[in-house]
Amino acid sequence: MNMIQSIIFLIASMVAISGFYIQGIEFIIANIRGQSIQSILIAVLSFIMGFLERSLDLIILGIMVVILRVILINYFLERTIPKKRKFSVEKYLSVPYLLIVDLIFIVLSVILIYKFVFSSMILRESIAPSNILVFPLITFFQGMFLIASRKSTHTQIIGYVEEENAMILFGIFLLPIPLIIEASIFLDVLALVVISSIIVLEKSEHNPVEDLIG
Amino acid sequence: MIFNNTALPILILLVPAVASITFKWGNIKLATAISGIIEIFLSLLLYIDKPAQGVFFIDNISVLFIFMVTSIYFISSLYSIKYFSQHDIYISDDLYFLLLNLFTISMLFTLEINNFGLMWVGIESTTISSALLIITERNETSLEAAWRYIIIVSAGVTFAFISIILIYYVTGTLTTSTLINSSFKSKFLVLAVAISLMGFGTKSGVFPVHTWLPDAHSEAPSPVSAMFSGVLLPVALYVIYRIYEIYPLKTVYVWIATLSIVMAAIFLIYQDKYKRMFAYSTMENMNIALIGFALGGPGIVGALILLLSHSFSKAGAFYSSGNILRLTKSKKIDDVNGLYKNSPITAIALLFSSFGASGTPPFGSFFGEIIIFFSLYQQHFLVPFILVIISVISVFISINFNVTKMTFENGKNNSKIDRTMEIIALISSIVPLAIGGYILILMGGLV
Repeated sequence: MNMIQSIIFLIASMVAISGFYIQGIEFIIANIRGQSIQSILIAVLSFIMGFLERSLDLIILGIMVVILRVILINYFLERTIPKKRKFSVEKYLSVPYLLIVDLIFIVLSVILIYKFVFSSMILRESIAPSNILVFPLITFFQGMFLIASRKSTHTQIIGYVEEENAMILFGIFLLPIPLIIEASIFLDVLALVVISSIIVLEKSEHNPVEDLIG
Repeated sequence: MIFNNTALPILILLVPAVASITFKWGNIKLATAISGIIEIFLSLLLYIDKPAQGVFFIDNISVLFIFMVTSIYFISSLYSIKYFSQHDIYISDDLYFLLLNLFTISMLFTLEINNFGLMWVGIESTTISSALLIITERNETSLEAAWRYIIIVSAGVTFAFISIILIYYVTGTLTTSTLINSSFKSKFLVLAVAISLMGFGTKSGVFPVHTWLPDAHSEAPSPVSAMFSGVLLPVALYVIYRIYEIYPLKTVYVWIATLSIVMAAIFLIYQDKYKRMFAYSTMENMNIALIGFALGGPGIVGALILLLSHSFSKAGAFYSSGNILRLTKSKKIDDVNGLYKNSPITAIALLFSSFGASGTPPFGSFFGEIIIFFSLYQQHFLVPFILVIISVISVFISINFNVTKMTFENGKNNSKIDRTMEIIALISSIVPLAIGGYILILMGGLV
């Protein structure tokens, strides 16, 4: 692995680590900002790869990540938290317990999926070993686990955005899909976050409802 | 050729958009209904005048799906006009019809576009445009149902995006027409097709990712439930089928669909709310159609007959449910009785739509199911064949026992239902019978 490949590997690993940070924090606002940090890291990766491969598409992708994920999604989600509730937390959480379960779930799923499916994939020269695919997989499962383990609407939205971030990372490493499609996907996700933020205003937590059982 | 290659598909997308613009002048209800009629006409025209493959990919299968979407869109817009004149509505009437139009456009876009990436965008857009429709009659339960719909479906559809990336990785293209006529072989394509079943299957009622379905169907207003059950789930099924065509995984698809049918039959046994009951019936029908698509050949014909018939009968079932809800103010089966005495038209509509949804002869769905079961047997899927037959009988008993009880058990209710709403429900429930009659005539001709 040369130096550039090591840097790419390092940033990709930081994307996955940011997922653990989001999982481990109980402050909603910190979760939202954790998602922004994760998106910044993905944008940086996209820029690096864009310059390395002289690909304008990857550079535009990085710009879109910054505008739509880092700025706009952060803006829409933070706007739904009233000023006096800036430090609101998910009180029922047992963070150490969640992190341990999360770790077991993620490690098992990623090892199995990578070992049996993705290890034989051949990536582009600038990226090198296929084991870098472990990071988007970890991020994807982190998002999934976040949705499953939390009751707060905000955190579940973050889980969904995290899954989408994993998909961008996956696409960047495998083969970036055409920009027009990528742009449509970004706009779709943004619209979904806006719609979700309407529900956040009405219902900030989710518990079992008797009428919806069975 | 009347239109050039892209004019007609674009026009089909534009008509509801134009109806939405009238939002500004307060005529959106009427404009939506007129747009519905024009859309049905255009979809029929599309059958005669199919455009060449390019930006759009339209064959006989997609035309049938487009016809289904436009028809249910038209009937639902008519029903909505009356329904919301008598129900409290959380969002404004104008916003409701605007979202209904956007919802229809996103489904039509998914059916017309010649690109798997943009199909994914279309499916995701259906979630965006329809999520707020669920909370039209705002209450705690509908908010929870809408949220479950958003988060479960979005997470599932994101999972499906892995299959899009893998297809692009292996083939270097996402063009539908190119891919379904190609013969790429790769283990990653196998993975892509399997993932798409679980990912897009979230939206089309595949077990175990179906959990949003009964919640959204039961809490959405009846015309929206009709759109969900009648056309949204089939549109997701259409995308699954198109991806399946790239690399058919017949055994996997047949077994997963069989498991889903068995589970739907089990869930149906203990349902005590009529809208949830119809939602699980939708799950059963979608998976029978999935088996038909997976088997290919006559199975596809069976699936198309089943889906066409199901879209009308399920729309009829949900319109009838809306009428019953107006009459009894309850969603529980036990709270509904004496329907035939109190409101004979709604009672007949409910009976017919239940017969249609449960595959009773001579409704169209019966013929669709028979063709699929025959194909299943012929292709030596003996265990799935037996399991599906047992499940279908169980579903038939569960639905028709409850509906008969609601219809004929003694009871008195003084509330009245709007006659137009009753007639819309009745017409919807009669269409599958007409489809069945048409098939019988065709069979008579063959004999």
